[in-house]
Amino acid sequence: MQITRPKGPRATISLVAMIDVLMILLVFFMVTSTYLDLDMVPLAGADGAAAEANPPETGPDPLPARLLVRLGSDGAGYVRGRALEATALSAMVAGRLAETPALEVLVLPSGQADVQALATLMDALVAGGATRLRLIRLEGQP
Amino acid sequence: MKLARPARRTPPETIIALIDVVFFLLVFFMLVGRMDATAPFDVLPPVAQTGADMPGGGVTISVSADGVMALDGVVRARADVLLALAARLAEAPDTLVRLNADRAVPLRHVLPLAAEIEALGAREVVLVLTPGGG
Repeated sequence: MQITRPKGPRATISLVAMIDVLMILLVFFMVTSTYLDLDMVPLAGADGAAAEANPPETGPDPLPARLLVRLGSDGAGYVRGRALEATALSAMVAGRLAETPALEVLVLPSGQADVQALATLMDALVAGGATRLRLIRLEGQP
Repeated sequence: MKLARPARRTPPETIIALIDVVFFLLVFFMLVGRMDATAPFDVLPPVAQTGADMPGGGVTISVSADGVMALDGVVRARADVLLALAARLAEAPDTLVRLNADRAVPLRHVLPLAAEIEALGAREVVLVLTPGGG
């Protein structure tokens, strides 16, 4: 004769273990993630080369108008040998753009200037409305 | 006659609500944070107003204020960085290369590096900025 045991209550799965795992995952992601809001600006790459291969139509003038801005080692922007403040530079670019909308702005950076100076100069040029901005390549190792 | 009700046992705290909260916090931190490799030294990216939002993924090259370089969080010599990067780009030429340079580093440490990375075949080389200022 087989004796049937009375069925006990079903074992419940403990949720405490799951909470522990979730907590550890939470702490892991809080600690390992960075929460800096960073932006980027393109420096080099094939996209720029492609844009150069197919320059946009500039109308009857075959030579696109260019403005060369030199970034001096002191961090100031020089146009035709004259140092310009950021606001003056913006105004100058805006004036030139009003004459020739297809104006291309070339930046010749000095290797001694720091990265912040380049970012500030680009800010000033963009504030003047420059959209076609190019950086002249620096070659050679430091 | 007074009928004594059987004393009810206080129900246990529902633990489900706690799990829900922890789970939402977990999802929040996963979405908000970025799992980038951070540089082993302090890097303060330059502040600028112009710039686009940076997508995730890719390779990060950090350059400290005195010109020390790190590739994805590991300090390497400049030649080693370029060698490792060449191998990565040979496998996946679409890899986004981020230059995370300190704001005080001279451009001679950064711009020739960008040109060399481009010569290795990188499709996209970007400079990391901190939005703000102006």
